[in-house]
Amino acid sequence: MSGPTRAADFADLADDPAPAHVAREPAGRDGEVRGRRAAPAWAEARFGLPLHAPATGVAIGPVRMIHGAAAMLATSVLADSGIEHDRGQYHNPAMFLPLVSSTLSILASLDGATRDEKRAHPLRLASYGIAMTVGLLGTGFHLYNITKKPGGISWENLFYQAPIGAPAALSLSGLLGLAAEGIRHETADRPPTLLGLPAAPALAALTSLGLLGTTAEVALLHFRGNFQNPAMYLPVLLPPIAAALTGDAALRPDRRARPQAKLWLGITAALGVAGVAFHAYGTSRYMGGFKNWRQNVLDGPPLPAPPSFSGLALAGLAALALLERHGDD
Amino acid sequence: MSSDPFERPRAANGRAPDVFKTGGWIPMRQHRDVDEVDFAIVGTGAGGGTLAARLAEKGFSVVAFDAGPYFRPLEDFASDETAQEKLYWNDPRVVQGADPIVMGGKNSGKTVGGSMVHFAMVSLRFRPEWFKARSTLGYGADWPIGWEEMWRYYDQVERDLSISGPITYPWGPPRPRYPYRPHPMNAAAEVLARGCEAMGMKWTPTPLATVSAPRGEAHPCVYRGFCRFGCSTNAKQSTLNTYIPRAIRAGAEIRDLAMVGRIETDAGDRATGVHYHRDGQWRFQKARNVIVAGYAVESPRLLLNSATDRHRDGLANSSGLVGKNLMTQPNQAVYGKSKDEIRWNKGPPSLAITEHWNYDDEKDFHGGYCWMGQGPLPIEWAKTMTTSRGIWGDELRLAMQDYNYQVGVKMVGECLPSENNRVELADQKDRYGLPVAKITFGWSENDKALIRHALDQMEMSMEAAGVTDLFRQEEDANHLGGTVKMGDDRRSSVLDADCRSWDVPNLFVCDGSVFPTVGGVNPSLTIQAIALRTADRIEQLAAHGDL
Ligand SMILES: Cc1cc2nc3c(=O)[nH]c(=O)nc-3n(C[C@H](O)[C@H](O)[C@H](O)COP(=O)(O)OP(=O)(O)OC[C@H]3O[C@@H](n4cnc5c(N)ncnc54)[C@H](O)[C@@H]3O)c2cc1C
Ligand code: SF4
Repeated sequence: MSGPTRAADFADLADDPAPAHVAREPAGRDGEVRGRRAAPAWAEARFGLPLHAPATGVAIGPVRMIHGAAAMLATSVLADSGIEHDRGQYHNPAMFLPLVSSTLSILASLDGATRDEKRAHPLRLASYGIAMTVGLLGTGFHLYNITKKPGGISWENLFYQAPIGAPAALSLSGLLGLAAEGIRHETADRPPTLLGLPAAPALAALTSLGLLGTTAEVALLHFRGNFQNPAMYLPVLLPPIAAALTGDAALRPDRRARPQAKLWLGITAALGVAGVAFHAYGTSRYMGGFKNWRQNVLDGPPLPAPPSFSGLALAGLAALALLERHGDD
Repeated sequence: MSSDPFERPRAANGRAPDVFKTGGWIPMRQHRDVDEVDFAIVGTGAGGGTLAARLAEKGFSVVAFDAGPYFRPLEDFASDETAQEKLYWNDPRVVQGADPIVMGGKNSGKTVGGSMVHFAMVSLRFRPEWFKARSTLGYGADWPIGWEEMWRYYDQVERDLSISGPITYPWGPPRPRYPYRPHPMNAAAEVLARGCEAMGMKWTPTPLATVSAPRGEAHPCVYRGFCRFGCSTNAKQSTLNTYIPRAIRAGAEIRDLAMVGRIETDAGDRATGVHYHRDGQWRFQKARNVIVAGYAVESPRLLLNSATDRHRDGLANSSGLVGKNLMTQPNQAVYGKSKDEIRWNKGPPSLAITEHWNYDDEKDFHGGYCWMGQGPLPIEWAKTMTTSRGIWGDELRLAMQDYNYQVGVKMVGECLPSENNRVELADQKDRYGLPVAKITFGWSENDKALIRHALDQMEMSMEAAGVTDLFRQEEDANHLGGTVKMGDDRRSSVLDADCRSWDVPNLFVCDGSVFPTVGGVNPSLTIQAIALRTADRIEQLAAHGDL
């Protein structure tokens, strides 16, 4: 069995009277598909995720993926802000907030990803809401700190003061979590929505913007590091391609497969993992290498940062999966 | 196990220390004393080390001598102010005059790599007008080189040393972006910046010769602030870990623990080689050309010590100017206490700078100055307290407890040339039996006016930044220059624009002593730019058969 990848498949689907968000199972080459509440085998094959559809009609696969994405981002934030705020010796108690909030976000995501029921849970919603808010506050706080420094918004301060982009990752994690809750919450007669917008394109747009923002921050920090290793160009050059393709999907959310976008999101996800290895190599080039880890993990390139690309890419893949089934209806 | 770098020469038996590896070696080509090499270079510092690399890369055979040892920073440099005095030229010198210069750590190094091994890494370009100070600003002397040409060589040396500097530099004509990004500013630098902002002056993160990200085998800076005592991470881009390894790779030979005592000349006016002391004995290296790069005291001393019947006043001294016009840059400071913790020893000492007063000519004295952040380590700080505030004993002990709250700024200023300030030979001899240098110095009225102005301005800026309990360090000086000056006219200079002696055509001097004026910024970038230019000029002269 394969998913609807050819125009003909979509032509088949176009006549399908079943609500778009209800999982379908192709009944055979004649294309007879009815609203059976089961995971589509093609989705299973494509994403390698167990998609036992519960009796609710929820497309639980994408839900899991988005929770996973939220968890990855939150983990990245937890580790990164843990290291950075530890280095800042928590001189302001507010510096504990992202640690608490990202932990809540991780717990919520784990819970959300392992449950099949169709309802959003108020505690999960609260955790994600907090993450969104703390992220926003953090951005404001970091920005305020910069303006207090001599030179104000200058290269020197953008390079070395608290990063403006980092708290945004926490907001993104919260938003993704809310998205996962949002599409879980859907009912059979309503298309999935996210903050009132059609869920799939909104999620694609969020991913695209998230990727661009993350790339901007990487560009700034790799510029600070003088691109001294040519590999430092990769996370500046590649994710924008995925962002563009995902952004295109958000703007033209017709129901079709997007193998190119998937490929580039896959590459971006892999880059996030490879980035950890590159950063580990970078850390080894600091005085004393890993023997001096207590200093170099603080001073070297941040080990937990790159996986935020993987998290975002995962969210993008989930958006594509949704689009592939629903389009923007 | 590695040998003691002072015990016997390390650069021998076809290899030289690998500065990037504990106990490591790199292969090195060697020459016999009887081989007539193209260039014998005396001194391997900012001038000599840079020239050794460029000349070897151009295909000349080169032997470069240094009286000091060959260190491997990773294994030989301790985080200890006292132990690191091993980097300085502490051999005896006689100082005298109205303001005798304190010689040693503040102004002279004695190691392969020269004074840059313990320099503070501040890497500034001259203000363009200074190259024609006499004709455009009305004081000092003109250089025989124009700023546009120097600008190109500054570009080159900044790339070679991967200078970490601001994205845009606030003063002077445009320059390319610095190869590496600026370093993070420490609290001491922020105080400087706040003071400048309060006074309406520009400031900037300082261009520094220490890398803010890995570079080849050099680790990035770890901000521990031992820079002026030898950087043990190789982050500092000194001659020792930049041009010297390049020189050796290109086929140059470095001879450590090799003190050159005399330049030999033939019956005509040509140098034939150098007498040097190594491994307990005097030897003679034959050379087609000799380059002296021992810095502003040792270079004139060597020329004076190489007098012959034909050159009775010293080699290359028909102008009588060898040793004259000694300049040292005023290095006064204003210090005080901050209410917030500063910990000024964290990081390179001068992470921020203002050159405001170099570019302002509305002053009632000649010359300019800049000031920069400071981070003296505890022993140096204790000495400053005793000399500037006259406190000792319990009072000193108590004052030292404020160490983490102290903050200050220090000037580097322009000293005007005067023939009264000079290097001569003393009657005393050193351990090699060579007459030592006698150094006479006193500030001129103009110098004193400049220092007063700088102290007032620095004090105002510290006050404006909220620093209290201010005091002035009124007596300090650093970088040297002027004693073997270059110029356009053989009567008023020792060297021509190519750093070549007017008298002895195969003798060059290329180091800090060639400066006709010292300007109001730290000199080593300019010394190295001149060395790069000299190498190019030598190549051109050789191509035209003019060497
Ligand atoms: C503490 C300190 C901080 C400084 N900070 C800065 C700074 O921040 N920025 C800046 O631009 N400059 C700085 N300087 C100045 C800069 O280091 C020197 O101006 C520069 O290194 C001089 O270069 P040079 O080639 O003339 O001599 P040096 O670099 O001093 O090299 C001379 C070498 O010649 C050797 N030598 C001398 N005579 C003989 C002989 N007869 N035989 C064999 N070898 C001999 C010496 O051992 C020495 O190694 C600093 C200097 C000091 C001491
Ligand atoms: S602060 Fe940086 S440049 Fe200075 S000694 Fe330490 S590592 Fe070297």
